[in-house]
Amino acid sequence: MLDNDANDDVHDLIRRGTQVEIPAAVEDRLRRRLMEFRTRVEQRPPSRLRTLAYSLLHPPGVRVVAMTAALVAAVAAGLVLIPRESSASRVYAAAAAELRSAGSLAYTVVLVEAPYVAVDFSYLAPGYVRVRTSWGIEIRADRKSGKQIVLMHATRTYVAEEGKQVESMADAEEFLEQLRSLPRAADELLGERLAGAKKLIGYRLRKAPANTGIQGLTAFDLWVDAGTREVDHIDIAIQEEGKPVYQMHIRNIHVGAGVDRSLFDLTPPAGYAAMGKPGAAAPQSARALRAQIGQTGALTAVVVPMTGPYTQATAAVQKVEAYLKAQGVTPAGPPLGRFWDEGHWEAGYPAPPGTRAEAPFELVRLPAALAASVVVKGPWGTDSGGRWVAFLQSVVEQGYVPAGPAMEIWTGEEGGPAGQFTEMRMAVTKGR
Amino acid sequence: MIDEQQREYERLIAPIEGRMMRAVWRVCRDPGDAEDAFQEALLTIWKRWDRIRPHPNPQALILHICIHAAHDALRRKVRRGKWLDAAAMPEDIADSSASAVQAVCGAERNAEVLRAIGLLSKNQGRAILMHWVEEIPYGEIAAALDCREATVRKHVARARARLRDLLSHPIPPVRKEEGSHA
Repeated sequence: MLDNDANDDVHDLIRRGTQVEIPAAVEDRLRRRLMEFRTRVEQRPPSRLRTLAYSLLHPPGVRVVAMTAALVAAVAAGLVLIPRESSASRVYAAAAAELRSAGSLAYTVVLVEAPYVAVDFSYLAPGYVRVRTSWGIEIRADRKSGKQIVLMHATRTYVAEEGKQVESMADAEEFLEQLRSLPRAADELLGERLAGAKKLIGYRLRKAPANTGIQGLTAFDLWVDAGTREVDHIDIAIQEEGKPVYQMHIRNIHVGAGVDRSLFDLTPPAGYAAMGKPGAAAPQSARALRAQIGQTGALTAVVVPMTGPYTQATAAVQKVEAYLKAQGVTPAGPPLGRFWDEGHWEAGYPAPPGTRAEAPFELVRLPAALAASVVVKGPWGTDSGGRWVAFLQSVVEQGYVPAGPAMEIWTGEEGGPAGQFTEMRMAVTKGR
Repeated sequence: MIDEQQREYERLIAPIEGRMMRAVWRVCRDPGDAEDAFQEALLTIWKRWDRIRPHPNPQALILHICIHAAHDALRRKVRRGKWLDAAAMPEDIADSSASAVQAVCGAERNAEVLRAIGLLSKNQGRAILMHWVEEIPYGEIAAALDCREATVRKHVARARARLRDLLSHPIPPVRKEEGSHA
């Protein structure tokens, strides 16, 4: 029943103003979203990477901020499992206290060891947060000013946002906060072990808080450097029903002065285009681009390491080509490039066995790996923003997560864009 | 596992699919905004799935999530001053007959109503949309919002007062003879 004065004029106005039918075209679009959602609900229950996958697969429109922030927050939310309550040692207490009072903090969460899938977190008081995934998405947020920038390194695009969108980082901060609020005492002393010159003392926490939504935490082991009394690394074991034990690690922990302020710079890097603005590629439909998952063979290549805009790729390839020619070496395949970000990429040619490389050139060996790939037609090196976003969506849609840098292999004719093809390739691993 | 998940979907979502879509469309009124808000809502539902399943009134909670996403989208749009644009008008306004003018005025009135809802606080907006528009009883709203029923009543009362202020000069209904002078 509605309230007694529901029939007043304001109520009537509101009701009349909101009682509208959904146009058929809109209903179709929403129903498609529901069908996709239903499929995912029915396929598997939520888990850390499942949530991530859903976030990545279903960006609201072209708003990459929401997409990437949500997926990173989802990763972080899935990791919110650090016990708050438990039953000690002075070394442990000192390490926990240091984390609690840390004005800055940085660490890496390794989700999968091989192939490497990880997320770097950084925090700097009073409210700077940075999250960077091993698959090339980075978010820098300033909670105090309510601003954030999302960088898609593989596609050299960015979105700067403020206000509501920044709220999506809240889950990531919650995780940071949990690491900063370890219990004062551990449940169990694991003993000592040597790691190089360091003596580490292990402590185990067993209980996960009731409201984390993560089931099956069996161990949360902190290894503390006995000399510095700082946490060296954390090993986490999760045993969910019907699944093998899942191991995850927190490494590269830096507390205090070890965090570089420039990591939180909200200025778009040179050469990055704003998403949704002229010059920035719009994401293609994931349906129009489906990555094929398969095993790729090992590859040896001569490359030249590069930094700066990817527009130098052609020049870099020509440089390697000239070098190989001078050595009397015929390339073993079409030119290729591997891209981490504009501070780190390389381009070159596959080379036959026995080829040598001298500085500045390098010989790189890419092992056989599970990889996602697709060949697209069109001019080399353009529209990569749209197609790489679509490619990543397709990868995650199939239940995989990126485990290596973006790689492009360029084939076809140099003469014109009509006969040019690009193979997009990326090492992947099965998501949980 | 699939059977169990199918049953869960049938139990929780299937009966209210239409209400979910309508709840979003009624507030957004723009295909792109509606799809974004709906997707945002589905993402939230997915993330909270384990908490929704055992909830005493999961469907009210799901509708609340949809309404929350739609109201957020509306608030952002109103704040950015992008409200009352051409999308709110009927496509063909060249016809100056009474019905066409009436349609334009009706669209303007609806836009004004939505703009006013977009100016409400989050709590007030959600409460009014759930109670007045979706006709969800106070008790169920309180369960979905995890608050006391009295709190929901307070939000609705405050929203009503605010709306009365904001809509104190609503566009009057157009009578047939007015249309011929247009």
